Amino acid sequence: MQELHLIQGEHKHLVIEHVADDSAQWHIVQEAGSVLTIHLFCLDSDAAMTGSVVLDIEQTGEHAETYIYGLGILTGKQQIEVRTHVRHSVPNGKSNQLLKFAVKDEAKGSFVGELVVDPHAQHAEAMQTNRNVLLSPKATMHTQPQLEIYADDVKCSHGASTGQIDESALFYMQQRGIGVVEARQLLLTAFFHDVLTTLGEPIVEERIQRRIAQQLA
Amino acid sequence: MHASIAGKEILKGINLQIGAGETHAIMGPNGAGKSTLSAVLTGNPAYTVTEGEVIFRGKDLLQMSPEVRAREGLFLSFQYPVEIPGVSMTNFMRTAVNAKREHQGLQPLSAGEFLKLMRAKRALVELDNKLASRSVNEGFSGGEKKRNEIFQMAMLEPCLSILDETDSGLDIDALRIVAEGVNKLHTADNATIVITHYQRLLDYIVPDYVHILADGQIVRTGGKELALELEQTGYAGLAEHPNTSANMVGTAQ
Repeated sequence: MQELHLIQGEHKHLVIEHVADDSAQWHIVQEAGSVLTIHLFCLDSDAAMTGSVVLDIEQTGEHAETYIYGLGILTGKQQIEVRTHVRHSVPNGKSNQLLKFAVKDEAKGSFVGELVVDPHAQHAEAMQTNRNVLLSPKATMHTQPQLEIYADDVKCSHGASTGQIDESALFYMQQRGIGVVEARQLLLTAFFHDVLTTLGEPIVEERIQRRIAQQLA
Repeated sequence: MHASIAGKEILKGINLQIGAGETHAIMGPNGAGKSTLSAVLTGNPAYTVTEGEVIFRGKDLLQMSPEVRAREGLFLSFQYPVEIPGVSMTNFMRTAVNAKREHQGLQPLSAGEFLKLMRAKRALVELDNKLASRSVNEGFSGGEKKRNEIFQMAMLEPCLSILDETDSGLDIDALRIVAEGVNKLHTADNATIVITHYQRLLDYIVPDYVHILADGQIVRTGGKELALELEQTGYAGLAEHPNTSANMVGTAQ
């Protein structure tokens, strides 16, 4: 587990791209006014990889902001667990989590999203969204949003869904001459689009796009 | 050709031959198998061909994947065009056009060439530039979706286009624009199948042949006047006639 302490007003951007070791496990404390942005990319090509991501974050100072954006394409027999724990301990905090996974082959994915708003953490704004697409009959995704809201004057929302690729869209694209692999790539690029645009760095975005294409080929 | 869905036979022996430069209308009551025919021809995986064959420009169509059929020049204007959020019309169309070009052994179009082509074809169906810059069909009105289908047809320049109830959900102005687009695209080298319930569309897209499909078979074939006759007698009246003009179209089974 790695430790990180954001002092008052500090801005920090973490990009996590390797989930097979403990570099993907973090305990982070945020002081007042600090802004933490995490981008998580689970795009490893090793088909036998197992990985565990832990993002344990506590806002201890007011007006702290936490953003977690993640996407992943799990392939082969990969098993990856992503666990987020965001705790609002003080008033006026903000957090947003947006995580999207596509699961191929016989891969297994798991998302456990814990969001805690303590009794005196009034005016917290906390959102959590997890969307998943299964690309094969043997792929599985387990999603478990866990919200514990103890304050009453807060704005909180969450959503979780797991579905399949839209077969009618796939056929429509094929009917225009687009091959299945490319059609899926277009559909999944669209699926990941809102996560990618949060990067705000075109060079990194392009690199991630290429890795998405490789994972889907 | 015979075809079924989920074990239920829908097409029960269809014989049809379409020559270059021809426009064929296929009319028939609900459940006759009109949409099944277009689904089978384009390779929709929900349907199974149980008997017969389809020869498309000398090649065995049924052996091809849906995308190869399209690249070979088969186009379907969908009755219900699909919305694809997040995939831009431009990206979608460029991928489709270049997939076809690659199939033909041609170089992909440059960005400039492609945009020029988009502009030219858009004008043909009076498709708003705003629509061309949005996600595929997302938030388009019924008429815009149909116009967008014909725009895609113009971009891909197919040999055989199937218009599956392209008139449904169109008001008279949109119908006219769509039909004019189809007519402008018509050449001596390509052919069109117009699937429709009503005579109305055939006032604008004038067919060389009209086929009446009922219960999975073509029960009558005639010229464009057959559609007018149908308008008066309804489908019930026509079913009693023998298929006297079947020799107007050859058989291709």
